[in-house]
Amino acid sequence: MKKRSGRNGFIFLCAAPAVILFTVFMVIPTINVFRMSLFKRSAYSTTEDFVGLDNFTRLLKDTNFIRSMQNTILLIVVVTIITFGFALVFAAILTREKIKGQNFFRIIFYIPNILSVVVISAIFSAIYDTNNGTLNSLLSLFKGEAVAVLWKGEDMVMISLIIAMVWQAIGYYMVMYMASMASIPQSLYESTSLDGAGRITQFFQITLPLIWTNIRTTLTFFIISTINMAFLFVKAMTSGGPNGASEVALSYMYKQAYTNSSYGFGMAIGALVFVFSFGLSALVNAVTKREPLEF
Amino acid sequence: MKKILSILLTAAMVMTMLAGCGSSADDAAEAPAQEAPAADESEAPADDAADEAAEAPAEGATITVAAIETAYGSEMWQEVCSAFTAETGINVELITDKNLEDVIGPSMQAGDFPDVIHLATGREKALTETFIKDQNIVDITDVLSMTVPGESAVVGDKIAGGFTETSLTNPYGDGKTYLAPMFYSPCGLFYNAGLFEEKGWSVPTTWDEMWALGDEAKAEGISLFTYPTTGYFDAFFYALMYSVGGADFFDKATNYEEGIWDTPEAQKCFEIVAKLAEYTEPTTPAQANDQDFTKNQQLVLDNKALFMPNGTWIVGEMAEAPRADGFAWGMTALPAVEAGGDGYSYTWFEQAWIPGGAEHQDEAKQFLAFLYSDAACEIFAKAGAIQPVLNIAEKLEGDNQMFYAIYDNGAKAAMGNFAAYDGQVVSVTNREIWFDPVNSLVSGNMTKDQWVEGIKEYNDQMRENLVQ
Repeated sequence: MKKRSGRNGFIFLCAAPAVILFTVFMVIPTINVFRMSLFKRSAYSTTEDFVGLDNFTRLLKDTNFIRSMQNTILLIVVVTIITFGFALVFAAILTREKIKGQNFFRIIFYIPNILSVVVISAIFSAIYDTNNGTLNSLLSLFKGEAVAVLWKGEDMVMISLIIAMVWQAIGYYMVMYMASMASIPQSLYESTSLDGAGRITQFFQITLPLIWTNIRTTLTFFIISTINMAFLFVKAMTSGGPNGASEVALSYMYKQAYTNSSYGFGMAIGALVFVFSFGLSALVNAVTKREPLEF
Repeated sequence: MKKILSILLTAAMVMTMLAGCGSSADDAAEAPAQEAPAADESEAPADDAADEAAEAPAEGATITVAAIETAYGSEMWQEVCSAFTAETGINVELITDKNLEDVIGPSMQAGDFPDVIHLATGREKALTETFIKDQNIVDITDVLSMTVPGESAVVGDKIAGGFTETSLTNPYGDGKTYLAPMFYSPCGLFYNAGLFEEKGWSVPTTWDEMWALGDEAKAEGISLFTYPTTGYFDAFFYALMYSVGGADFFDKATNYEEGIWDTPEAQKCFEIVAKLAEYTEPTTPAQANDQDFTKNQQLVLDNKALFMPNGTWIVGEMAEAPRADGFAWGMTALPAVEAGGDGYSYTWFEQAWIPGGAEHQDEAKQFLAFLYSDAACEIFAKAGAIQPVLNIAEKLEGDNQMFYAIYDNGAKAAMGNFAAYDGQVVSVTNREIWFDPVNSLVSGNMTKDQWVEGIKEYNDQMRENLVQ
């Protein structure tokens, strides 16, 4: 009996620091965001007025917010699909095929991930430059005449963001998929190839099902990181412009909370984005649920 | 043995955690110590001057001054604070930073306010606007009748005319001054004077001449106009409103008067901007963001565009940039609407103010008064920051002499801005409805009528929610 209580005490003491830190720095601020979303206040207000759900009803009528949410969803969907596809294919090639310079490619793909977003946006500023940019120069090489695509103009700005975000994310997910692909026993591939399965069949019948748990985890990562990274990319690359064309949910929240001095309204956006990302992750998790396969 | 080990480990873990929590308290205590160099500097002369400044009411008190560090640098603030302490015996704890909002923001959220804040309106974080909208700024009308510390002159007599009567200093239109005008800079259209001389062009004085020049330049492959970001249109629009309809129209427009956008004056403003959009260098909108705006400024240096709206800081900002042969900065006021009409140049200035939560408000007011002393003005001017006091033009040198002489050369000064409204009811800023759509006008994604419709719709909401 005495032994058990000592053990419980030990567990309690071990868990306490993490629990306390988590509560102080995660739980309380999150609750605070939800609380402040019900008030009319600025960031430095000494007073605050309770307005109930007014901020939320205003949000749903706010066309600028709806546009920023559309942009966010567009990024989540497109960036996830493209990055997911490329990362999987590259990972499969780099683990299954014998290519010269495998490590070289692995490093090259991973480098964007260790660069800061500010550096990436500076790189893409040079790539997207209308007159001397790499992309337009390359296009004019094929076309035979000068091309002046406005990559950061109103019509192209979201595509430009998508390209930059995919470029940044591929390496990270590729390495994650490679790690789990490497643990699939070689014997499985050998026996199926004796049965006459080609590489593509092997990929869909063996590789994909066996790394499914990993894929499910990364899908949640995709949702959360796209929402967060979109804010950084927009801040560094486009400032939400031209004329709000590249505004995303979090950059709009920032604009409302600070530039427009309506902190409560900004927190309402924060609360909505929180619920949205939580809900979407739960949904994706539920939809992709499968019986785990073992080697 | 195992038990002892586990107890030791747990103890270590708890200690680390407590240490982690504890360090934040230490940090808080250390923070002012890190500012010590500034404080020390200002304290040293304080002892010497203590006798002279015996009549100072709050000798020995310490005020906190938070000032944004801009292109002028932060040294001038240290010098001014030292001079203030020497004059009055009041110590100053100085905080300067390029991202001042991030430095003082958290402590203000915790209820700890600096005594004086020097931070202009128009920044992305809109800290000054937030305080204006919250009506959380101390009335400093009495500072205008205070004597400048160390001088016999009264503050109000030293500040140049007009500066303390604008909506930027008197945001509520109640005849009271809440923000002290600081460092002013004439804004206008900047161009390559060398190119004009080379081509034999003269600087247009009316918009008709402007369009004619635009066609002429187009034939040579040069666009008439560009802008760094749409944020630079504020000074442009205000000056345009003045030149189209004078001070009366400007006041009505910036207070969102009902029906104002249907008047011929307003229509003229919209027409000019929409036409200017047609003459704008086509890559401009794609580069009109905080990262690429210098590429737009470079267009003028490279003779790809003739004019851009800007302020006198452009010279320093682009000092290292490559430029066309024979390049020389030129600056002109906005052209007049009709021949013989007035050309206007917007006077951009920064603000210093006392937040409502400031602890030492009397001492803070003395500090504000001191900012207009000859000594302070001279220190500021050395760094290129020009205080809006009378007879300052004599102290200027180089390009600045030419820029600040714009008002002596016939241009009229335009001052003021849009009236503050409750941002917690109206969820757009004036920049979003007025200036940002210019990007879409240039790229053809929006028509003039759509733009004007947006302005009308939101201005109606703003009028109903004015902060008064």
